[in-house]
Amino acid sequence: MTTKRTNRTRLLLVSLLVTSLFLITLDLRGLSVVSSLRTAAQSVLTPFQSLSTSILSPISSFLDDLSGLRNAQSRITELEKENQELRNLNILNENVEGELKQLKGVLDLAGKAKYKTVSARVIGKGGTAAIGETIIIDKGSTSGITVDMTVISESGLVGVVKSVSNSASIIMLMSDPNFRLGVRVAGSQFMGILSGEGGGNFSLQMLSASSDLSVGDVLLARGSSGDKPFVPGVPVGRVSFVENSLGQLTKRAKVEPYVDFNSLGIVSVVLESVAGDPGDALVPRAPKPAPTVTVFVTPTPNE
Amino acid sequence: MRIPYILITLLGVFIFQESLLNRVNFLIGGFSIYLVFVIAWTLQEEPSNAMLIGFFAGFIADFSPTLESPFGLWTLILTGFCYFLATTVRGNLDPQISPLQMTLVTASSSAVLLILFISIGAILGQELSSISILLSEIIGNTLWSLVLAPIYIPMTIKFHQLSLTARER
Repeated sequence: MTTKRTNRTRLLLVSLLVTSLFLITLDLRGLSVVSSLRTAAQSVLTPFQSLSTSILSPISSFLDDLSGLRNAQSRITELEKENQELRNLNILNENVEGELKQLKGVLDLAGKAKYKTVSARVIGKGGTAAIGETIIIDKGSTSGITVDMTVISESGLVGVVKSVSNSASIIMLMSDPNFRLGVRVAGSQFMGILSGEGGGNFSLQMLSASSDLSVGDVLLARGSSGDKPFVPGVPVGRVSFVENSLGQLTKRAKVEPYVDFNSLGIVSVVLESVAGDPGDALVPRAPKPAPTVTVFVTPTPNE
Repeated sequence: MRIPYILITLLGVFIFQESLLNRVNFLIGGFSIYLVFVIAWTLQEEPSNAMLIGFFAGFIADFSPTLESPFGLWTLILTGFCYFLATTVRGNLDPQISPLQMTLVTASSSAVLLILFISIGAILGQELSSISILLSEIIGNTLWSLVLAPIYIPMTIKFHQLSLTARER
């Protein structure tokens, strides 16, 4: 009985092995039916593979991240270094862009008044004990700068040259407490003396008791004999507050300068005023107010 | 009644292998749950059944779209090897095979099966990868078969139990 069963098993084994060899032979002979079976299997497997991809992709990404952690660290360090370099470059570019804007502004101003100027970069700022509120520029006597020359920026008057070396100059800012400047009111031409009070504060003392002064009036430099220390017509500031004291003979006022002394990058030293007094030509234009939209609504009576 | 159940089970494991497990990036080589599942199942079967299971398992394995070997190669190898397992290996072990024995036999058998597949495939003209890659595949598969045995051995035993009638159990 057992032998009979074993024989049947062996016969089955031989049959199955022969079938396998038959399949292999068919495949090796290039029967297209056999190759298309695998293609059909792929079609059946595709939905399962798509499903598994959506399941496995987060896990796979996590494992890839883990295996690439060491590389990622060095890559992060490299990118941080590159990022820092780009930031530095960006800061440099912004700085250059700002300086160019200031240079364009100051050249426009000088060109309008027909001043002959030398532009210079502000290389230092300080309050030395001898002079007070000052800046240092990178141009000196070799560029034709001498003491008592007017220094302007894109917005207006900055100060006056107080000290000159071959390649640098020290400029006394108009905010210095020792700074005194003869000014006139644009339009009315009333005259006064502007004094720096330090810390960006200025006071104006009018010369005539009859001078009329109001908030918003523009002040221009009156100019000096031989254009030294001040060329005429340079915008100085705007009246921000007028004092009305009964005991005073002349009016006093507070002035807001046009120049922001904390953001000076490029300034120009006026070497010569070619066309003389430009009058009120340099008065800064007031910003145009934005147009206001007016809507008219006509009420409709309810019926 | 058993044959459809076995076929469906084998198909399920094959799809799991092809769609999910083949996508997993194992550190060394790969892992074929399909092979170890068939081997572990065969170890619990009579020789004639083992042979049939080997044949059907091989036939299903030959459908793998990623295979470049001739169609029927896995059928040939698994039919012969399952018969060999059921008669020679299984006959020399205790009737109540222990899980440890099953693990060792399954892991070593999977390595032998891969070697046979590569060798016969090469004889039939299949292009082979470099020796280092082939060794890595075989060693990796054996290691993972050992490491993951606590998962797939109980699973195979459970599926096998479910395929038996109450009397056969």
